[in-house]
Amino acid sequence: MTITVANVRIGFGTLLLMLLAALGFVLAMYRFLFGIGAVSNLNQGYPWGFWIGADVLAGIALAAGGFVVAGLMHMFGGEKYHPLVRPTILTAFLGYLLFIAALLVDVGRPWSIWHMMIYWHHESPMFEVGWCVMMYTTILFLEFLPVVFERFRLEYLYAIWLNLTPWVAIALLVTFAFAMTHSASWVLAIGVVLVAFELLVRFGAIHRDPRMPTVVLMAGIMFSVLHQSSLGSLFLMVPHKLSHIWYSPILPLMFLVSAVAAGVAMVIVEATASAWYFGREAEVRLLQDVGHVLCWAIFGTLALRAGDLVLRGVGTELLVISPQSIAFWIEILVGFVIPLAILLTPVFAESARWLLVASIMVIVGLVLNRMNVAVVGITAPYSPTYYPFWMEVGITTGIVAGGVLAYLVICSNFPVFASARAHNAEA
Amino acid sequence: MAIKALLIDLPRCTGCRGCQVACKQWYKRRAEKTTFFAGPGYQNPADLSPQTWCLVTYNEVIVNGRYEWVFGKRQCMHCLVPGCASACPVKALEKLENGPVLYHREKCIGCRYCMLACPFEVPRFEYESWNPYISKCTMCAARIAGGQIPACAQACPTGAITFGERDALIREAERRIASNPGKYVHHIYGLSEAGGTCVLHISSVPFEDLRYVMRVPRTPMVAHTEPAMQAIPMVMLGLATILGAGYALRTRKQRNNQRAADAAEK
Repeated sequence: MTITVANVRIGFGTLLLMLLAALGFVLAMYRFLFGIGAVSNLNQGYPWGFWIGADVLAGIALAAGGFVVAGLMHMFGGEKYHPLVRPTILTAFLGYLLFIAALLVDVGRPWSIWHMMIYWHHESPMFEVGWCVMMYTTILFLEFLPVVFERFRLEYLYAIWLNLTPWVAIALLVTFAFAMTHSASWVLAIGVVLVAFELLVRFGAIHRDPRMPTVVLMAGIMFSVLHQSSLGSLFLMVPHKLSHIWYSPILPLMFLVSAVAAGVAMVIVEATASAWYFGREAEVRLLQDVGHVLCWAIFGTLALRAGDLVLRGVGTELLVISPQSIAFWIEILVGFVIPLAILLTPVFAESARWLLVASIMVIVGLVLNRMNVAVVGITAPYSPTYYPFWMEVGITTGIVAGGVLAYLVICSNFPVFASARAHNAEA
Repeated sequence: MAIKALLIDLPRCTGCRGCQVACKQWYKRRAEKTTFFAGPGYQNPADLSPQTWCLVTYNEVIVNGRYEWVFGKRQCMHCLVPGCASACPVKALEKLENGPVLYHREKCIGCRYCMLACPFEVPRFEYESWNPYISKCTMCAARIAGGQIPACAQACPTGAITFGERDALIREAERRIASNPGKYVHHIYGLSEAGGTCVLHISSVPFEDLRYVMRVPRTPMVAHTEPAMQAIPMVMLGLATILGAGYALRTRKQRNNQRAADAAEK
């Protein structure tokens, strides 16, 4: 006998997720009563730890990276990639909501987080990060709305949405540009390009996508590109604390490139996992195409990393045995070398299972990379070394578990994959 | 307005910690329960904290073949272009024209980026509070505004802490180093560290022996993030153009089909 709640099968897995989510919630409440010190090992020398590495850096890279890839494929890859877009919008949207939840735990005084909207300081990378979060979450919410309209058959609202969202997206982009530059000429230049594009679409000079306004997709791609790179910019501020192995002036670029590579892997993992859970056929041929892209993406990221290390002359530091160099080699082996070997071996490259293994390794490699930048690579001169406390990990695990549950509930009740089915039927 | 500064002449320090006590009294900071710790250093308390903004460090240093206590001082360095202020997303940290770096607690959101950005590991966070703030030395900005000198400088009985204009203090530090051969190492800590600071130290032993942070860039911290921040509008404009134009080119055929379909409908 199977019990279902909100159309989700209740089994061992879902129960475990609920338990983890509940534990995370209790720990988070404990933190709000007794302070961050009570639930974490963060100290005066290590103000950032597991939460920044896992929730902020890795979480955002995985949530948005996938969307950048899907958005690009949607814009340039043609109609056949459409089935992959909706699930990635949902994961990105949920990912951002989870990330905001995690941020509310990590930030000391979350009730004053709105101060970012009134006290502008565009010199600060953190200001850019905060604004990207606000703007991009809004865009993702807008992009997710059609699923809701379809579910409740709100064609009228859908039509209004199609008309209105391009302007909302342009307004958000222009506001963002103003907040970051305080310069009327930049705002004008960016605004003119965007408005011109939208007008050309409306007058039929450029193809009009019947389901998703292209400007909205563009805004999504632009905000996530900016957000990924700004997370790298955060660490440009710490040449004195971050190990040379990871500190590079092109850190923003490397964060972006590695997030896109992991994003390709995310598309494969998401499509395979949801196909398995919902008992649908995975789009195997489509995924093999993506696997081919993944191979190039890993290669590109690796080339950038290697070139950067050589040009900065860090080679010898990698051969000295230290926690940092060991962490680096694990990251490179798991995230780059082994998946590349798998994808370059024809027998493995054609198997959906090995494709999944390689993708998961790329994702783990990205998480390791972000952890290394945020935690392992940081040295503080006066303070005892930091190791995450179990409660820190518990809170993060709880938030992720809550997110997976929300994903299951939404996918079981809203037509996230429905358009894919319709599309397959057409073909 | 002239930039004010403090000159810390470490060889003159006797380790009486009058400055530490004066600071605590003036700002009504609580006393801390301390325990022995395994070093390095033998100061009490062991480190700066939300309750301790000014700390005399006790360091065992080999001088002329035998161990001696040599004192150091830790407090906010009041950088000329402070990394903490550049890092803060809500401008909760402000560099005053006359030198002090001030913290406006009502703006703070508690992100702790200032702590990461500070090369001297100075800002402290109230980890034990449900409503935590950052706290650090203010260089007694309010006392200066009232015509007084910082509490630590006022309390120092040996003249190890001098308050004055930064330019004059740099000249004074150079004079002391030049006119006392062998007494000082040739280094004014704070002259160029992090682009220059408003707290200048001179010492009889190398600063690394006093556990001063040596891995400090000689440029302001903001110099490292500035290029990335300035690239934002260029990235936006470039992406908007490339994505827009690329999409227009990529979908030419579909547009033509769409037009044909529209025409057929009519």
